[in-house]
This record gives sequence, C-alpha cells and structure tokens, in this order.
Amino acid sequence: MINKQFAGYSDEEIADAFVLPQKLTKRQQASAALELVKARKKSLGGMSEIDKLTANLLQLKFQLEDYIKSEDFNEEKSFGYFLKEYLHLINKKRNEFAAEIGIHETLLSQLINNHREPANSIIIRLELHSNNAIPAAYWYRVVEKEKEYFIQTNKQLRKNQKKFVKNRLAVSL
Amino acid sequence: MEIIEIVSNSKRKIVISSVRDEELNVLTKRRYSFIWKTLKESAAIYKLQIDGEDDILGAMALVDFPNEFRIEIKLLASSKENVGKIKKYEGIAGCLIAFCCRESIKKYGYMACVSLIPKTELKHHYINKYGMIDAGWQLYLDGKGLHNIIKKYSL
Repeated sequence: MINKQFAGYSDEEIADAFVLPQKLTKRQQASAALELVKARKKSLGGMSEIDKLTANLLQLKFQLEDYIKSEDFNEEKSFGYFLKEYLHLINKKRNEFAAEIGIHETLLSQLINNHREPANSIIIRLELHSNNAIPAAYWYRVVEKEKEYFIQTNKQLRKNQKKFVKNRLAVSL
Repeated sequence: MEIIEIVSNSKRKIVISSVRDEELNVLTKRRYSFIWKTLKESAAIYKLQIDGEDDILGAMALVDFPNEFRIEIKLLASSKENVGKIKKYEGIAGCLIAFCCRESIKKYGYMACVSLIPKTELKHHYINKYGMIDAGWQLYLDGKGLHNIIKKYSL
C-alpha cells in the first residue's frame, strides 16, 4: 500500500518519480531471494555469447571512462593493465591477438608489461579491433595520464635537466 | 546523460555523484519525501544535479550484493517539484536508474543485475517503462535490459 503522503498522484506519476521502500517479512525476503535466483539463472542461461561480450566490453569502457575522468592517478591502471583486461574479456591468447592487430607477440608483451609506450598506430588498431566499442581516445588518455604523472613527479629528471637551463626567470607565480 | 526541461523542451546535461555527509541535511523529507540520513549506514546514496548547478533534483540509495553480482535500488526520489503533472524536468528517475545499471555493469560485466522490490500497484509501470523482468516479489534487469536502459538515457 502506498503511503498517504503520495495521495493526489496517480500510480504512473509515482512510478515515474520514485522507487518506494517496500518492507518484506523474513519469510517474504527468503521467498523473494529464491525467486530472483531462479529467474536470473534462466536469464543468464539464455544470454548469447555476443550479449556477454557486449556487456564485458561495456564494463571495460565504463572502467576506462571513470579512470580517465578521475583526477587521481593509479599506478596499477596503466595502458598495459587495460590492454590485458581487453584480451581477457575477448578471451584471446596473446599470439592470436598480436596477429589480429598485425604486431609481433613480443611487442604485445612489452605493451602489456608497460615496457614500451604504444604508438598512435597501435591505439588506432585497438579501436578498429573493438569495432569502435573502445575509442582510440580512451587508450590515448590513459597513456597521457601516465605521462602527466611521470612529468609532474619525476625529481631525477628535473635534477638531470637543471644543468642545461640558464638565466631562469626571476618571477614566482 | 540528459534530462528534459518540459517548459522549453530543452535538454540539460546532468551529473550523478555520491552524496557527501554534509549534504544529507539538504535531503529533507519535505522536498525529497524521505529521511535520507537514516540510510547512510546501510546504502550508498547518490544525487542528480544539472551540470554546473548545486540544486539536487533527485536522489537514490543503492545496496550492493557482490556475491550475487547485483545492485538493489532501495529508494529513489525525484524532488517535490519534479513529481506529477506539473513537474519541471522529465527523466530524473530514468537517469538515476541508468546510472545504477552502468555501475552494475562496470562492477560485474555480463553477470550484472539491478533489482528493486516494487509496491504491487507500481510493478507494471516499472515493467512497461524500463523493461524490468518480473521475478515475483522483485523486479530486475540484466544483460540486454541493462544495456537498453543505459543506451536510452546515456546516449
């Protein structure tokens, strides 16, 4: 029964604006849980491989989107990390995938292990391989994020480069 | 994601984010129909705002069930002026539900599921509007159903 505070609204108007809390007894809760498990088992059983792949690609896409948007840098979430995830989601072996994007397996391993930075051509090939599901810009921004963090935090690089800079400006912003 | 300003029929870009502790006082029963503070410990609470504006147009409480790869919508409410025939914006609840679907897929991939326990009188409205599947006491979305809602409200 809907609370009287919603009197004056039709059921459709209420459903259009709310999900109202519904209290169930312990018995009803147990029954609800069981019914849901059964229904979901049936749904999952009827899910095609394409539906599963679509959902998994969306998962990676959303993870990439949120990471790119976030102001935080996470050392673990490198280009190599996301590339490894991509391979895992599409269930491809490294040699198979390397052949599909026209690179040597060694280069693929170097990219996954973050021993090499991806060329623009690789980033474009990844977009093409995913049939635009994961845009090239997403891969590019992950690389950019790593670069930005490296530039911002690398003290050694600053120390090494100091000797090449003369007559520094006498201003401080 | 976007909502539609009914009077001008113009789209407004929205953002959905976590409600900060201090904002729980803003979510009053008078404007948001419930005492949201009481859900603080048991659910993750999110708010919907027009991009660049402070006013909260809707809120939603989610409970995650990692063992079941499922997120339950415990409570969702549009602000008072966005309910009924004279509402200002269209699509607040839809965008919040789409956000929940996105979170679920982001966490659980193809196993993802979004569920809610509807009031009996409202059940068929959720089924018709969001394509939810009837599982007796609960309604749920998974697989293509989640994807369809995300596409409808996100693109």
